Amino acid sequence: MNRITLVKNIKQWSKQLGFVALFTLAIGVSAKAQEVSATATLDSTLIFIGGQIDLKLELSQPGDLQVNFPHFTDTITKNIEIIEKGGVDSLRMDNNRLVLSQLYRITSFDSGLHYIPPIEFEIIQNEVRNIAASNALSLMVVNPFQVVNPEDGVTDIKGPQDAPFKIVEILRYIYLYGGILLGLGLIVWLILYLRKNRTEGGLSFSKPKPTEPPHIIALRELDKIKESKLWEHDKVKEFYTEVSNTIRNYIEHRYEQPALEQTSIEIFDSLKSVDMDKTSMEQLTQILELADLVKFAKFQPLPDENGLTLMNSYFFVNQTKVEEIKTLEEEKEEFLAKESEAEEGDSDEK
Amino acid sequence: MEQSVDIRELNERIKAESSFVDLLTIEMNKVIVGQKHLVEGLLIGLLSDGHILLEGVPGLAKTLAINTLATVVDADFSRIQFTPDLLPADLLGTMIYSQKNEEFVMKKGPIFTNFVLADEINRAPAKVQSALLEAMQERQVTIGDTTHKLEEPFLVMATQNPIEQEGTYPLPEAQVDRFMLKIVISYPQKEEEQMIIRHNLAQSFPKASSILKPDDIIRARKVVKDVYMDEKIEKYIVDIVFATRFPAKYSLEKYEEMISYGCSPRASISLSMAAKAYAFIKRRGYVIPEDVRAVCHDVLRHRIGLSYEAEANNITSIDVINDILNTVEVP
Repeated sequence: MNRITLVKNIKQWSKQLGFVALFTLAIGVSAKAQEVSATATLDSTLIFIGGQIDLKLELSQPGDLQVNFPHFTDTITKNIEIIEKGGVDSLRMDNNRLVLSQLYRITSFDSGLHYIPPIEFEIIQNEVRNIAASNALSLMVVNPFQVVNPEDGVTDIKGPQDAPFKIVEILRYIYLYGGILLGLGLIVWLILYLRKNRTEGGLSFSKPKPTEPPHIIALRELDKIKESKLWEHDKVKEFYTEVSNTIRNYIEHRYEQPALEQTSIEIFDSLKSVDMDKTSMEQLTQILELADLVKFAKFQPLPDENGLTLMNSYFFVNQTKVEEIKTLEEEKEEFLAKESEAEEGDSDEK
Repeated sequence: MEQSVDIRELNERIKAESSFVDLLTIEMNKVIVGQKHLVEGLLIGLLSDGHILLEGVPGLAKTLAINTLATVVDADFSRIQFTPDLLPADLLGTMIYSQKNEEFVMKKGPIFTNFVLADEINRAPAKVQSALLEAMQERQVTIGDTTHKLEEPFLVMATQNPIEQEGTYPLPEAQVDRFMLKIVISYPQKEEEQMIIRHNLAQSFPKASSILKPDDIIRARKVVKDVYMDEKIEKYIVDIVFATRFPAKYSLEKYEEMISYGCSPRASISLSMAAKAYAFIKRRGYVIPEDVRAVCHDVLRHRIGLSYEAEANNITSIDVINDILNTVEVP
């Protein structure tokens, strides 16, 4: 065997070896491709024109294999349009397999039976491309509307179709606006509550209406002033302030004049319209004028004047007070109450 | 006991010093018919060293009143008509070149007088108003490098016309606050108007006599400051002023949204001074709540800022003051 023949043989053997290797590889890839299964399913095989359904592509493959999903842009076929495209979802199984799925929301505006050919998935392994195809599908698109016959002539535009009212449709608005209204109501209530509390809590100068008759309160206050003997303790100004306040308070509730917010002259003027005897008016004038002098002009009255002021105050209240006239029934109830109290006292003694 | 003697002495002194008040009122009333409130306000301003802002329609004797006051006090009087083209120099004075002496000499403006009537103050631009108000506050004017003291007594009575607001420059709140009193003049009564006609149609218009000297006023001002004001009255004034700031604290919640700003501490000072002057006019050596209430409207009406809500409800500062006086307890 010469040298040229040997080289030829070696080339031929290497060619044959290459074919064997390529064949072995193709067999291997094909085997891998057969391990891939692709399915395509529809929610329904029948829809109305414009109706929407989901097309689900599912691929079961070995975990280490690279498979490309088909890339649809606007349509699946000529008559089937894509509305929404979902992402590829993966699920790893126990046997080292991977299940991949992708959802397409599709619709069709052409009536008839539409054929969806097998959808192809590209398998790439060792730079060799293979295809896994899904099953074919068919979709029936039905036209629910009456077919317009041009021979019938021109007809008016059809009005909007009545949709049945469902509470579910407005439920979220009910929750939203109901919540807002409830919140506002709570805020308003809180503001009113705080205001009421602030007014009642002593932050303002509003005066509560006394439950007792004004002369009872005035006489009790005068008794307190008398007992405290303020002028004897060199507190003449405090004494006259107390007496003046008591008398003003009494006038305010007895004659319903805002005496606490009035000056002495204003009080005299407002009492002119009231049926008051001359002596009482003179007594009131003596009390308030002297009190003003002591309070505002550092006037030091004589001890007799202090006594006279207190005495005039008692007289003024007693002469101008409104006696409570009791009905016969009230007197009877009072009498019975006293009787029962006396009986209880006797029984306790026994 | 000593305090009591003091107040008695003060009372006597005030009775003696205030004797001119009756004479002055009589002389004023010779010329000014009615407008008792205006005359009283002028006296309060004169005695408490405060300036007066007068608001009233034309023809209500505003100029005549201050002219008569100047005559009675034997003081100098200037009337300045405020116009849109008035300049601060027209009011204060300026330096002019004397060719004879070959030097700049000062030409004093009409503000160098005892009584100034700034007629229609809101017709002049802000720079002139500022010049006047600064002079009112500082009691001095600087022209060139020299500061000149204004004469004493110095009383500015500015007038404002409540109608014809077009083309006017309303005084800013900060400047209005410098006026101690804002007196609103109304039309005279029927009988008073009849008397005015008679005065004006007579052969000779009545003239007031000069009975006082400016020094008498300066002395009286010192006495006014001595009028005794008790702590209770001070608290009453503070309560009134605070009620304009925090109405809700005085059961006046309805004004919470209507008052945009209340009275300043200057209002408290002015109210105290005006109350003392009023007590002096009434020949008393001590202030009583009546004095505070008598001057309260004139002192506070221009110091309360009302909101648009108040304007929409036709609430005026006088309504607010009335409600405050009816709510705050009198000591």
